[in-house]
Amino acid sequence: MLFVLLFLSAKGWGAPLFEKDIRPLLKAHCFHCHGEAGKKEGGVDLRLRRFMLKTTDEGPVMEPGNSDVSLIVQLTRKGEMPKGEKALTPSQVALLEEWVRAGAPVSREEPESIPAVYITDEERNFWSFRPIVKPTVPEGETNPIDAFISGPLRASGLDFLREADRIILLRRLSFDLIGLPPTPEEMQAFVNDASPDAYEKQIDRLLASPHYGERWGQHWLDVAGYSDSNGQEEDTPRPHAWHYRDYVVRAHNDDLPWDRFIQEQLAGDELLGTSHAQATQIIHESGAEAKLTATGFLRMAPDPTGGNVADVNLARNQVMAETLKTVSTSLMGLTLGCAQCHDHRYDPVSQQDYFRLRAVFEPVYDWKKWRGPNERLHSLHTAEERQQAEKIEAEAKQMDAERVAFAKNRLNEIFAERLAKIPEQDREQVRVARETEEGKRTPEQHELLKKYIEAKVGTDEGLLLLFDPEMDKKRIEMQAKSTAHRATKPKENFLMIASEISNEVPETFLHNRGDHDQPKEKIEPAAIEVLSPSQPVIFTKPKPELTTSGRRLAFAQWITDRKNPLTARVLVNRFWMHHFGRGLVKTPGDFGTLGEAPTHPELLDWLAADFMDHGWELKRLHRMILTSKTWRQITDPQTTSIRERIYCGAKLQRLDAESLRDSMLAVSGKLNLQIGGEPVSVSRDVATGRIIPGKEVINPGNGMIDKIEATGENAFRRSLYIESRRSRPLTVLETFDLPLMNPNCTARTVTTVAPQSLLLMNDAFTLEQAGALAERLEREAPLNNLDKIQRTWTILFGIAPTPIETTRAMLFLVSQRESLQKQGLDAAKASHEALAAWCQVMLSTNQFLYIE
Amino acid sequence: MPPFPTRRQFLRSNAFGLGSLALPFLLNRDGLLGAPTKPFTDSLRFDTTGKPPLQPGKAQAMISLFMIGGPSHMDLFDPKPQLTKYHLQPFPGEIRYDNAAEASSKVFGSPWKFAPRGQCGMELSELLPHLAEIVDDITLIRSMKTGVNNHGQSMYALHNGRIAAGRPTLGSWLGYGLGSQSDRLPAYLALTSPHGQPLLNNDNWSAGWLPAVYQGTMVRPTAPHLLNLEPPPHLSGEGQRQQLELLNSLNQDHRAQHTGDSDLDARIQSYALAARMQDGAREAFDLSGEPEHIKKMYGIDQEHTKDYGTRCLIARRLVERGVRFVQVFNHGQSWDHHGAIHTALPDRCREMDQPCAALVKDLKQRGLLDSTIVHWGGEMGRLPVLQNDTGPEKWGRDHNTHGFSSWMAGGGFKGGHVQGETDEWGHHAVKDIVHHYDWHATLLHLFGLDHTKLIFKRNGTDATLIDGQPARIVSEMLA
Repeated sequence: MLFVLLFLSAKGWGAPLFEKDIRPLLKAHCFHCHGEAGKKEGGVDLRLRRFMLKTTDEGPVMEPGNSDVSLIVQLTRKGEMPKGEKALTPSQVALLEEWVRAGAPVSREEPESIPAVYITDEERNFWSFRPIVKPTVPEGETNPIDAFISGPLRASGLDFLREADRIILLRRLSFDLIGLPPTPEEMQAFVNDASPDAYEKQIDRLLASPHYGERWGQHWLDVAGYSDSNGQEEDTPRPHAWHYRDYVVRAHNDDLPWDRFIQEQLAGDELLGTSHAQATQIIHESGAEAKLTATGFLRMAPDPTGGNVADVNLARNQVMAETLKTVSTSLMGLTLGCAQCHDHRYDPVSQQDYFRLRAVFEPVYDWKKWRGPNERLHSLHTAEERQQAEKIEAEAKQMDAERVAFAKNRLNEIFAERLAKIPEQDREQVRVARETEEGKRTPEQHELLKKYIEAKVGTDEGLLLLFDPEMDKKRIEMQAKSTAHRATKPKENFLMIASEISNEVPETFLHNRGDHDQPKEKIEPAAIEVLSPSQPVIFTKPKPELTTSGRRLAFAQWITDRKNPLTARVLVNRFWMHHFGRGLVKTPGDFGTLGEAPTHPELLDWLAADFMDHGWELKRLHRMILTSKTWRQITDPQTTSIRERIYCGAKLQRLDAESLRDSMLAVSGKLNLQIGGEPVSVSRDVATGRIIPGKEVINPGNGMIDKIEATGENAFRRSLYIESRRSRPLTVLETFDLPLMNPNCTARTVTTVAPQSLLLMNDAFTLEQAGALAERLEREAPLNNLDKIQRTWTILFGIAPTPIETTRAMLFLVSQRESLQKQGLDAAKASHEALAAWCQVMLSTNQFLYIE
Repeated sequence: MPPFPTRRQFLRSNAFGLGSLALPFLLNRDGLLGAPTKPFTDSLRFDTTGKPPLQPGKAQAMISLFMIGGPSHMDLFDPKPQLTKYHLQPFPGEIRYDNAAEASSKVFGSPWKFAPRGQCGMELSELLPHLAEIVDDITLIRSMKTGVNNHGQSMYALHNGRIAAGRPTLGSWLGYGLGSQSDRLPAYLALTSPHGQPLLNNDNWSAGWLPAVYQGTMVRPTAPHLLNLEPPPHLSGEGQRQQLELLNSLNQDHRAQHTGDSDLDARIQSYALAARMQDGAREAFDLSGEPEHIKKMYGIDQEHTKDYGTRCLIARRLVERGVRFVQVFNHGQSWDHHGAIHTALPDRCREMDQPCAALVKDLKQRGLLDSTIVHWGGEMGRLPVLQNDTGPEKWGRDHNTHGFSSWMAGGGFKGGHVQGETDEWGHHAVKDIVHHYDWHATLLHLFGLDHTKLIFKRNGTDATLIDGQPARIVSEMLA
């Protein structure tokens, strides 16, 4: 403390300090030319106060106490510096001036020398880089979350709002945990449950539901950048990605501890100790399949390298860059992308740091010895299945041969009959001509066959149709049999995994300006420096017996280490965001200086520490959050950004794309709740331009789409299972802000635009669901319109309509029916369509679209 | 109330009526808001209602005829006698190739003749006879430069200011800064080709990190041009009117319980816009009412110009109806003539030349050219040397982003003006260079916006289209 005081300016406490106030400004705007990466334009280095005490031809860079002669003030004021950049704002220049005038105070004695990349204590002490220390829970509330929230809330003269009604609470809870609305029966049961733990039982019920993993798995798939296609222009399908999706869903349902979940995704192969070559052999060993599938996380980035790309090396390096983006934003909450080309301008992340991280993944993505997407697939066939498939293929080939022989035999018979009818002296020559290949026939032979055209009986099996249609039917039967037999082969599935080649570790070089054609110094795999306390953390083989580099395993262990300050903070913040509609840190993918600081830093740290203390178990954290007063409040009718910030009341949230589609299907009674497996294909409906579930049947002749085959009940599966092609998002989902995976999404945006309204007004999907809901009402409430109206309210909202709402609905049904009858619909049809039109309105209401 | 609302009235009526305009930008511009140090994250919502610019701009709308692939400037716009003189001789300088494998250092003189056109005498190639008729209305920029030799990066530079994906495109910035002038159509539309999507797909009209409401809406090349514009037949008219009326009353009741939430207002408003779009958009895309002579002017009566002419005419109809920014794209990168330039380049020109010139003429005859900027150009030009030296019919030219040509018309650009020069070989822009960021600054200026002040608060920084690059307004080419 004394030391710090010594260096404070004589002019007092208020003056700006170099490390805290001035250096971040210079780092953002000046270091690029004056200090970073050895560059000292004009001989000027601004990284330390000491370095500035020098005089150039134009004058002193910085003379403490004299801002009038100091170039650092004068040149920035005139806008001559920084060159080629946005000028500093007047307030920034004023700050510089004030600092120089105050004698250029520093917080502490400056080091003798500084390394090329110099990280100050201020930077190391940035909130997200500080160790996580579990704070004491404030007194006064049973639930620790409430205890942390109530402080700032009461300090503002406010308090928690009352608990929401059970019906609202259950709707909120159900969408939150499983992404589906509660059924009328579930709502009834909860309302009638008088037991003291009625609410807790609902949480347990939903957490135990297999649909929980679908909902929360989707959140992780967003940050992992899950997609069923390879991206870029060609955007070819990735038919095997779904194994990873199902792994994520299962991991959530099993409440797999998140430290293990992360390790498996980053290094499942190294946990098993397997290499690329061994993976297919060990795939059926206990637990191996899941761990290998998990590494699909590292295969999620767009990867067009299996197809035509303009610049192959660029494309390969791009796959790596996108993978690093996903890893860093999902697990570290840092945007490292810009450090690919130069030191981060705001965060203490150097270009070296970026390539240290890249080195971790270089053995998987060795751009000089590239493996394309298909070379990263591993068959899931067992030895028996393979044998079986080979046996069936052999049998089918035998059947094919028999069929060909059968056809040929018959054709020969026909030929023999016809040959007998031509003059004897020509028969032998005709026979020879027929047996000669078309292209090798002499002109005489051609002539002969033309003369005896009736004897021109070919030998190709397809010709049987021409010469003996009856027998051809038999041939077609035989053909169908071999096709059917082939179809009995066990289906071959593949895993797309990240793996390394045994004992082959490519070197990583820093790329000058991010250009892979300009390699500079060699870089070792290591932790970013700001998170390396004193000695750099180098990622080397944690298990000597590994034949792979072990870098990812070491990295995974470091990421999930209790002492890593970022991981748990990033994770619990994201969990919080999914429960409350915004994070404690509102920039969940950026915990750096450009992100936002946490609104409740102590709560964030307590949650992070508590999460790790209790085995990184998510379901436990859900229970704590969902039982808090904070979560159970009513939505704030007078919400403002300030009240929202301190959690006065819950936040009204619009259903996300998947929840909206799934809940429309749920209330219409169409929803197909089948879990897991291959995605439902999507295709572009040529007539309307919409992307809909369906399989395109391509005409082999012209390569055009012949038709779209409906997928039956599959079309009504949950949105998670609809093929997620980057270039073909399902129209219903895209319109409601389904994120584009380029490469991933750390926080979804919510828009309110007219195409959404058009979709609810006119899209076939909406109309179909409205029609299905009307049919459901006709089944479940056949009595009269009043009955149907009440039933609708029960299904959609779990409550009865008010008299006004009922009256409006009755009037609507009458006038709509009249209007439809005027168009020529008969009475029965008009009644049904009027009901469907009313159902459509109900499905479009804000009450349905938003969760209270 | 005065005939035109004052700024403050404007703010009040929108901020509290619609509750969702780009408030931070407007307040900041008026100095009503202390400079915030942290980003606006989730508590603000945005819309596309019309907003007045900083100063009245000349331009109200822009049509960008974007020619992906890199039309060859030395064969179309930028005559280089030096190339003809040294045809097939070694190029004396250093060439910045993209595809070194097929590179040749033989100079490739243009096979096409240039001649002065119009009153101004601007020299153009014989491949563009229709453009020749409107040279007195265009500024030809012969010194465009992005300096990054591949399609994607250079397209990003021209669209969003930097050479990578993820940033908002020019049209998004215009929508954010100025909103839409139409209450029946989106502010930003992209017209794609029936032959396929443009290179980079949706990235061409991305809102980047601006709110998604500013994203361009892709117009499908064939009917229906926008999805879901048709009500189901049995509900069309009275039926849907009744539905929207009931929906509105239900939503108003719901709204009353959540007075603080402006998103609910925006949602209610969006149904009204959607209902208007059903007529407005359909009408805008319907060319059946256009007289035959207009269709003919755009070449809609001829097979080779039909597609592009149709889209140029739609583009005119859209800006006429208040759309702020329209992009018209070719498919893929169909101007990328690495080989067979002898046949491929005339083919491309035949498809576009007449419709593009017709668009300028038509805007002019309707008095719309003064307020509508038309841009014609790709992301690069081509090299002075030949590529694919395997016979004259296979000759092509490789990429060149160090100097290439584009033309601009209307909205405050000079007529009959040539801006800048490339070197005598056409390789590098050397005089009065127009970088992509200079081009952006100039365009924003014509719309009455200032490239340093049109900011979006992001991650604690003031993000702009120019992104801190040393942009200048190229006043020489302004009328």
